[in-house]
Amino acid sequence: MKGLGARHIALALLAFLLVWAAVVATKVPPSEAVRSFIDGSMGGPAAWRQTFREMTPLVVTGLAVFLALRAGLFNIGADGQLTMGAAAACHFALAFPGPTGLWLGSLAAMAAGAAWALPAGLIKAYRGGHEVISTIMLNNVAGFLTVWLAAGPMRDMKQQSPTTRLLDKGSFLPNLVEGGPFRLSLALLIGILGVAILAFWLKRTVAGYELSATGANPSAAETAGVNVRAVTIKAMMASGAIAGLAGAFLVQAFEHRFYANFSPGYGFDGLGVALLSGGSPWGLVPSAFLFAVLSSGTSSIQLTGVPKGLNGILLGLLIMVFASVRYRRSRTVGD
Amino acid sequence: MAIDTGLLVVSTVTLSAPLVLAALGGLTSERSGVMNIGLEGTMLSAACAACFVGLQTQNMWLGLLAAVVVGVVLMQVHGILTQAFGIDQIISGMAINALAAGATSFVNKGFLTLGVTARPVLLPKQFFWIAALAAVFLIGVIMNRTRAGLRLSAVGNDPDKSRQMGVDPIAIRYLALAATGLLCGFSGALIASNAGSFTDNMTAGRGYIALAALIIGGWRPWPTLIACLGFGLIEALQLHLQGTQLAGASVPTEFWTSLPYLVTLIALAGLLGKNRAPAGLGRP
Amino acid sequence: MHGVSQTFGSVRALQEVDFVASSRAIHALVGENGAGKTTLMRILYGGLQPDSAEITIDGSPVHFRTSAEAIRAGIGMVSQHYSIISELTCLENLMLGAEPSWALNKAAAERRASELARQMGYSFEWKAPAADLSPAGKQKLEILKLLWRKAKIMILDEPTAMLSPGDSDALFASLKQLAEQGATVIVVTHRLPEVVEHCETVTVLRAGKLVASKAVRDTNLMELAELIVGHSVATSSYEALERRETLFRATGLTVKGYRGDDAVKAADLEIAEGEVVGLAGVDGNGQRELFQAIVGRAKVKAGSISFAGSDWTKRPPSERLADGLRLIPEDRHAEGVIDDWSLTENAALGLQRRHGFARGPLIDQKGRWAAAQHIADRFRTKHGGLNAPMKSLSGGNQQRFVAARALESETRFIIAFQPTRGLDIDGTALVYGAIREECRKGACALIVSFDLDELIEQCDRIVAICNGSVVQPGSGLERDRAAIGRLMVGAT
Repeated sequence: MKGLGARHIALALLAFLLVWAAVVATKVPPSEAVRSFIDGSMGGPAAWRQTFREMTPLVVTGLAVFLALRAGLFNIGADGQLTMGAAAACHFALAFPGPTGLWLGSLAAMAAGAAWALPAGLIKAYRGGHEVISTIMLNNVAGFLTVWLAAGPMRDMKQQSPTTRLLDKGSFLPNLVEGGPFRLSLALLIGILGVAILAFWLKRTVAGYELSATGANPSAAETAGVNVRAVTIKAMMASGAIAGLAGAFLVQAFEHRFYANFSPGYGFDGLGVALLSGGSPWGLVPSAFLFAVLSSGTSSIQLTGVPKGLNGILLGLLIMVFASVRYRRSRTVGD
Repeated sequence: MAIDTGLLVVSTVTLSAPLVLAALGGLTSERSGVMNIGLEGTMLSAACAACFVGLQTQNMWLGLLAAVVVGVVLMQVHGILTQAFGIDQIISGMAINALAAGATSFVNKGFLTLGVTARPVLLPKQFFWIAALAAVFLIGVIMNRTRAGLRLSAVGNDPDKSRQMGVDPIAIRYLALAATGLLCGFSGALIASNAGSFTDNMTAGRGYIALAALIIGGWRPWPTLIACLGFGLIEALQLHLQGTQLAGASVPTEFWTSLPYLVTLIALAGLLGKNRAPAGLGRP
Repeated sequence: MHGVSQTFGSVRALQEVDFVASSRAIHALVGENGAGKTTLMRILYGGLQPDSAEITIDGSPVHFRTSAEAIRAGIGMVSQHYSIISELTCLENLMLGAEPSWALNKAAAERRASELARQMGYSFEWKAPAADLSPAGKQKLEILKLLWRKAKIMILDEPTAMLSPGDSDALFASLKQLAEQGATVIVVTHRLPEVVEHCETVTVLRAGKLVASKAVRDTNLMELAELIVGHSVATSSYEALERRETLFRATGLTVKGYRGDDAVKAADLEIAEGEVVGLAGVDGNGQRELFQAIVGRAKVKAGSISFAGSDWTKRPPSERLADGLRLIPEDRHAEGVIDDWSLTENAALGLQRRHGFARGPLIDQKGRWAAAQHIADRFRTKHGGLNAPMKSLSGGNQQRFVAARALESETRFIIAFQPTRGLDIDGTALVYGAIREECRKGACALIVSFDLDELIEQCDRIVAICNGSVVQPGSGLERDRAAIGRLMVGAT
């Protein structure tokens, strides 16, 4: 890659040194920390289960963010959309026990996610207001709204903490592989299927071409007959719907309930996953896997005395190093 | 319902001060054309540094100094990433927020909770008010009446043409970001001092609220101050009104906490006047 | 300047070029697009670091690493698109980069600014935003900026590109005054009549090499043209056209401008099948708004647009493209291409739903590739493979590609805004030839240009636009330079 040189290597080295220094500062022997990290993320059935579990929402939110990014939109709101989707999915699953709740919940989650993304799409399309700012605001509102829902209307009063009751077993999303070391949820398969569909859609369809054109150069796209406003709004809503579905999967496949402060930041991680994917949707799968490994690894490393905050340090630095190589904005040069 | 007006004013001003400082930090950065959603992470890191050093030395003034240093360093990182490496300004801001959240929690769990029991002498409340007001006044004068201010807005509106006129946009932006770091350092130290100790994610979105105030204030110092005071008032009212009833029904605290974000959405929707974003915002 | 060389990647932009200019005179630097004129001047202004060069000013060698250093040494440059920042006031623009002290004394600055303006016979509303300035006003402010900085060497890059003939003459009068006061004025231009009329010496560059450097009185227009191109220039000929069915019709068209006033006022315009119509006018008289209204990106406030019987007034761009509208937009990077995309992908831009590019909802990959090949070959676009990104092409080659794309498939109405911008004489001839050929087969074309001579040379008929009104010259005067020139500035 052009312009990739010593300073990029220096940046990567610096990032690595920083992480190393952080580990050393905790006085935990680095070898033990590394072993615990690997054991916790890939060392045995429980570790793999945890990693694949983490990977599922990351693939789906990564997909959501990736789609928006292609349309030139930074959907930082995936977290809020996911949370709204999870709440909606939980509500319908509780109201209609059995498979009906599963289907209705999934649809409702997509609708809720799309609805939560819509204001950002409208503000961007009609007012030019930056979607990053509006989705940050929407995330916060979603956070407070769902805390209120979990602590109020949806709360199971028998519980100590603000949470709903457990879903009916019939509304669970089944596992693809049950028992044995590799318990895989159907949700992960659907996520990877989504990646395949998006990859085909972007490359081979006129609509995908028009969406990419909008993202690459909205003015040129409009001149080329693309309805940029419509694409912007639709892309934002589709992204929200996918993020909402990620929330539904979390409820239906893993948590089986909804509670306050539901997302530990899957939406933000989704942005990281999308950024690290490189130009192709297929990159989302290894990228989500890497993020999942980091998450389950740093969870396990806590037991040795290295705080979980290491995960944030790793993600932040990883995004910085990777973005320095890829997501650079070329300087404008006059004629 | 009975509200002690004097108390409300004091807490409004006290709660607004960190917002004002952070929003002004956002102003110097964004008026120079650098988008800055990293305010939140910078404030959080500054708060953490203030607590860490304040506890170690039992002196919050030294804590303040540490906060400023950390703020300036982080914002220079933002500068290096966006200007020297050419990373998209939003991505860089996100990365800084992630790094800050992780690092502060790391420091908190690993080092802060251990062994220190005594609380340091906190910064006086009056200092908050003076710092915030002085900052608004100073930034206002700098923006309108100095060479630095003129060059800052020139670079923020059109970096390429500024370069043709012999103004170095990169240097101006590093300088503007240093000011952002300084102001966020103050802001974080105030939040830390207000709370007396560090907790994970203690800035709780105030960086984003500051950004919101900046937008509502149209990237101008005095209107931004007013927006911050408005948000401070909402926060103060929420503390005062907890548990009380409005028009016969209790309003959940979540509603009040959401209010600044909702107001900002309305402002973004263009219902509060036209968009005044610097023309070169986000341009490399 | 002596022995200046500059390479960009594998392209040798300048090879051992010498350039000399003395004070108290206006020097012209001429050449085709891509000849290296701007590159040479940017090196002098410190904006580019040459591979090799010896630059001396008043006999002492200098080396500028940045424009700021060049400015300190008394060099000033006015770029073609002006370096005036719209959001700042006129006074702020004047001072920017050369403020007298760290604290701004606006009252004192305004006094000095007014004094400078008075010397040149200009007047300015100093507190008004620069966005309100006309192109001529911007050019005047740029000259005051040079004086404010006490520039001794003044470089003007295509200074008349956006000016009316009258404003151009006034500009050269100002430049003459500056030269008489001791300045060295260097004018980069492609308009040869200006050179012959106003300049003392001329330097000709061709393909990065010095071709000639002589006194203007020792040469003439034809010789200069041949020096620039490298061979003799043929002039195009015309055959009269019988009028056929009207295809495009705008009636009472009114379009709001960016500043809220009406930029196009009750314009009537008809274009018949086979016709190439030129729209002449000074920049900023509503051409952009008219263009965007025809494309469908600007809202029509009153009146109507129709094409071949279908009412376009409220139709989105996509439906107009389906009817055969094809564009050569003004700003290639903003509207014409996607820099990071491959040539193949760019070939489909605007045609993405047309036959040969799409099959139902899917992209016709083979068709698109074949079309891209055809588009690239048509005007001999030089490229490094159809998968190479658009940005790897030079500006002139990108323009060839964009022009060829507009003629590729089911073209019925070509609307072009400065279609030869960035093209050399060869490219210009190719593009206009192809537009005429397409029109002969039943299409029609509207060409917007600020260069009246080009329109007179290439169009069947010319209408003028002035302050938003479209005016038709009298019968028999459709290609009369003087008549249209008068209409362009609002005289009748």
